[in-house]
Formats: sequence, C-alpha cells, structure tokens
Amino acid sequence: MTDTMRSHGEPARGPSAAAAAVTTGGANALMRLTDPPMRAVQRLIGAARMPYVFLLPNLVFFGLFVFLPIGINIVFSVTGGTALFPAERPYVGAEHYARLLDCGSYLEAASCREDLFWRGVGNTLTFTVFQMVAMVLFSLITALVLNRPIRGRGFFRAVYFFPVLLSPVVVALIWKWILQRDGLLNAVLTTAGGEKILFFVDPGWAMFWSVFVSVWAHMGFYTLILLAGLQAIPRDVYEAAEMDGTRPWRVFHRITLPLLWPNLLVVLVLVLIRSVQVFDEVFVLTGGGPGTATMMVVQYIYTTAFANQVQNFGLAGAASVLLGVVLFVLTLIQLFLTRRRAS
Amino acid sequence: MAGLELRGIRKDYGSTAVLKGIDLSIADGEFVVFVGPSGCGKSTLLRVIAGLETVTAGDIRIDGAEVTQTAASDRGLAMVFQSYALYPHMTVHQNMSFALENMGIAKAEISSRVERAARMLRLTDYLQRRPAALSGGQRQRVAIGRAIVRDPKIFLFDEPLSNLDAELRVATRKELAALHAEIGGTMIYVTHDQVEAMTLADRIVVLNGGRIEQIGSPLELYNRPANLFVAGFIGSPRMNLLPTELVREETAGPAATLGIRPEHVEPCAEVDADLTVRVDLVEQLGGETFLYTSADTGGPNGLPLTIRCDGQSRLTRGDLLPVRLRRDHLHRFDATGLACRPDPILARSPS
Repeated sequence: MTDTMRSHGEPARGPSAAAAAVTTGGANALMRLTDPPMRAVQRLIGAARMPYVFLLPNLVFFGLFVFLPIGINIVFSVTGGTALFPAERPYVGAEHYARLLDCGSYLEAASCREDLFWRGVGNTLTFTVFQMVAMVLFSLITALVLNRPIRGRGFFRAVYFFPVLLSPVVVALIWKWILQRDGLLNAVLTTAGGEKILFFVDPGWAMFWSVFVSVWAHMGFYTLILLAGLQAIPRDVYEAAEMDGTRPWRVFHRITLPLLWPNLLVVLVLVLIRSVQVFDEVFVLTGGGPGTATMMVVQYIYTTAFANQVQNFGLAGAASVLLGVVLFVLTLIQLFLTRRRAS
Repeated sequence: MAGLELRGIRKDYGSTAVLKGIDLSIADGEFVVFVGPSGCGKSTLLRVIAGLETVTAGDIRIDGAEVTQTAASDRGLAMVFQSYALYPHMTVHQNMSFALENMGIAKAEISSRVERAARMLRLTDYLQRRPAALSGGQRQRVAIGRAIVRDPKIFLFDEPLSNLDAELRVATRKELAALHAEIGGTMIYVTHDQVEAMTLADRIVVLNGGRIEQIGSPLELYNRPANLFVAGFIGSPRMNLLPTELVREETAGPAATLGIRPEHVEPCAEVDADLTVRVDLVEQLGGETFLYTSADTGGPNGLPLTIRCDGQSRLTRGDLLPVRLRRDHLHRFDATGLACRPDPILARSPS
C-alpha cells in the first residue's frame, strides 16, 4: 500500500484513507501469518485438493451436528431399552416402526396401537391444510395490496415483515397473553358486553388460534417472496392488458396468477414443509391441548423421547425417521420446482 | 380508422411539466411520427393519447368524440410497445386473440382474424409457440399482429424497432411502411431515430422540452427547418451552424446564424472559397465520405464544419481545404433562433 502510494506520489489523506490503510495492513498481516502453512498444505496434498481443505470446517460442523445425530437417530429407531448410549441398546429391528404403523384403520387414530402418534399425524394434517390455505391466501392478498402504489407502502411492508423477526416462542407467549382466560381479547370482549371465550379449552378454537398465530408470525416472509414475484412481472404487460381491454379480475386470473405461479409453487411447498415441522409455537401456545387436540407429530416425538416418565428414545427415533422421510420427499419436490423455475 | 385532435395538452409530474401545451391534428389514415431527443415528452404524449397517462389539462378527441377521461381500454386504440409486452405464458395465437376474447367476439371470428394477421406478418408457422421461442423480429411482428387483429381506430407505436439489430430494423421498417400502405390505418409512431421518422412518416412532429418545435412532411422539415433546434436535429450529420461574419456580407443578410447542410458545402478553388478549413477526421463510407473539419476563427478552437462528398476522398487529417457554401441552400436564423423567411429554399421549394 505504502509503495503504491509512493509510486503515485500522492499520499492518502483523511480518516477513511487511514481506516483503509489499517484494514489493508491487518489483512496483509493475516496473509503473512497464514501463507506459510497454506503453502505447506498445498505442497502436501496438491492444488486440486485445496478446495476440500476450505470445505472441511463446515463439513465437520455439519457432520457433528446434523449427519451424526441423523445416524444416531436411525440407530435409536432400531434399538430398544432406555439406555442413552447406542452400544448399550439391544437391537430390535423394525419393531418400533411396526408399532407406529400398526393400525386397524389409518383414518381412525383410536384403532392404532400408537394412537397418540396418529392423533399427531391427524392434527398436523389438519393444521397443514388450514395453514397452507390461509397462509397462501393472506400472503397473496397482502402482496397484491402492497404491490399497489398505496400511501405508506414502505411502512406496511415493514409491519408485515416484523413478526418474522420474532422468536416463535416470543410470538406464542404474546398471543397466549392475548388469548388466555383473563387475556386482552377476553377483556375487550367483556368490555364490549360479550362473554369470555375459553379459547384454549375448546378444541376448535385452539386449532384455529394455532393456525392463526402461525400465519401471523410467518406471513411476512411469504408475502415478501410473492411481492418479489409480482414486481418481476413487467409493467408494460399490464399496460398491454389494459390496452387490450382486460377487466381487473381477468387481469389477475389470466396475467398475474400464471406469471406468479412459480413463486406461488415455492411458497406452497415451503409452507407445507414448515407446517409438517410445526412444534414450538403451538406447543408454547396450547401445550398440545385441550387434551391432544393440537398435539402435532413433532410434539409427540418430543414427549415420547423426553417428557414421558419412561423415555422411549427408540419409538421417538422411529417417528423422527418417518417424519424425516416425508420432509425429504417434500424438500426434493421443492428443489425440483425451484430448479425448474430457475431454468 | 379515425382522426385525432389534441388541444392544449399539458402533463405535469409534481412540479415538473413534461408536456407544455400540445396542439395537434392528425388526419384519418395519416402516418405521423413523433421525434425528439430523450426526455422531450414524445413517449409521454403517446401514452397520454393511449390513455395510460392522465392529462393535467387539455382535450383529446378521437373522430370528434371527447375521450380525455375515457379509460385506455375504451378508446379503441392499439399500442405496440418498445419491449413488445407480449404475454410470456401465452402462445402467439393466444397473445393475438386475447383482446378479441375480452371483447366477447365469437371463436370462429377470432380464429379467422388471427390467421389473417398471421399470414400478413408471416407468423403462421409460429402460432403455437411462446414468445420465448421467437426471435426479436418475430416477437415484434407478434406485437404488431396483436394490434392488427383488433382493427383499432389508431395504431400507436412506442419506439418499436429500438430493440432490434440494425439489419432487422431496416427490414421491419420496410414491413411497417408496407403494412401502412396495405391497411391504411391512422398510425402514430414514436422514435428518436430520425431515419425511421424520415422514411416512415407522412408528417413528422418534432418535440423538444415538452413543446412542438415544428410539424411538417419529412422534406419540409429537412428543407425548411423552422428554427435552430429542428435544423440541428433533423439530418445526419447535422446541419452546420455558422456565425454570419464567416461568410461574405452579401450572403448573410439580416440573419444572426447561418445554417448549411453538409452536402451543400463544396470543395472549390481557393479563389472561389468562402472558407478554408482543416480536415480533422475523414469517414469513408464507400459511396460517400464525411469530412469533419474546422474553420479557423481566430479563437482557441476552430469552428466545426461537416462536409459530405459523393464517392471516396483522398484527403487526410491535417489537409487544408478551400470550400464554398452553396448560396441557394443557406438557411438563415435570427437572434432568437427562428428561421428568417423568405429564404432561398422557400423560394425554390415545390411545396
């Protein structure tokens, strides 16, 4: 740096130049420090293998915290007992899977040997269907409104995105405070002359608010994806439609929706994946109740492994593997759709 | 087809006036080209006519009917956009039939109109393709076809050739001229390319700073520019503008500025010369040569003077060249920049 400045005969001046000099100086010092060992490694393994050296830290991280737990989970799913170390657990084969899948009728949880698992599956399915419909519908409507030149558009865009930044537990606690027996909403209802509603005692209300809170918390993210899609539709296509005498509903139906379809597909699959994984918000909000009315699959896994008096890691592991397979398939679909969109 | 009348059209964006009072009449079947530099308001004027922009003041009449507040969809006009603006998810056939479906026209009639337009534009083989599978020229033809099938009162073209390469632009220009001759519709065409304007227009409207500088046939504008702006804008290379002191007094008259086109500056014997110029750059085009020269005015920079010569030239940079300005082609402009009338061209002009 100094040499360069000298060669131009124009020394750098001012605080920004000084900061740049310090940064560059620091970078140079770091390079001087790391250069010899890097050269030594390269001499040892060859330049072609160097990318793997740089990939190694992340690979180790993923190996320890993702792939290893998946492996352990699979081992747990085919072993029994309450011991924590796999070596101490007796091999039971597909026993846990058989237990989970042993049903008189898959449409009736009570006929299943592991009825709580199937209640969780049923609840998760109900939650997923309602959440997907509500999420896509409200995200789309919000994106369409925010895409119009309305007053305070930037403010509203921020407002709808803020809940995404909150922790799911915080979201659930806020809404629990609003919805509980003596919460804000019941205070408003009674002030307006109405009666208190026990939202967490009625199974219908509990599921409704589980879906509502989840939509409220995540809608901003999907709105953003759809808004980006809407803004990618060229303005002159709409002007051409206007010149062609297209009525507003037909513009939406024949122009906006088909051109937004790739984004909508991505949103649909992402919402589906997240719905199947739902746990924290609903668990904190309702605890899975009343009874098992809002108990999702992931809560079943958590309870079976950690919260029950007898910790059945094997059964929970098997349920995790089954859920993992479902998520894997859904992720493949999402990747396929995203790549098709990109191409 | 229909005529168009614009009276006192103004368009402001906040405190910025983009159109500052446009008055214009376009006759039924006329091909009118709006031309002007970037930001002169030509596209805005077209969009105002289309109904895609509202006016701040003024009236728009189509075939005598007031349409100033009428929605774009109800004006019965068709527009060809610079970017084509085709519906990317629809086939060529669907693109061309979409507006007709909106109008509730019967399917048989739609098919007949689309096929007729496709034949006219050589698109029959591409009707089932999507725009992404077409070349730029084909897309432009689809955009034109989409306008034709509607049988609009007026065709509006917003720089339709600007996204095409030079060769395709020339070919499509010819096709547009042929199309106008065939269907005879009223067409309004926006461009910044004066070759397009000169070759396509029945009349050219030269716009500058939101105002009309001159309206006239291409040759009227070329031969009798109303002011310095039009003189400098129409013609390529542009007209040479000279202070009157450079030319012998008897030719200058009362004008403040003289204008002369490059083809009207002739190399001559020194004894007949009005000026002696130094050649700065020679552009050999084969059939003609442009000499970019400068005349010595005594100042630090010479006065630029462009000369067009037929055929090829052996002159090189630095050569001194005595030139004569053809008296019968001198344009005179007063101190405000307006053309002094009558001038020699006016006297000679058949129009």
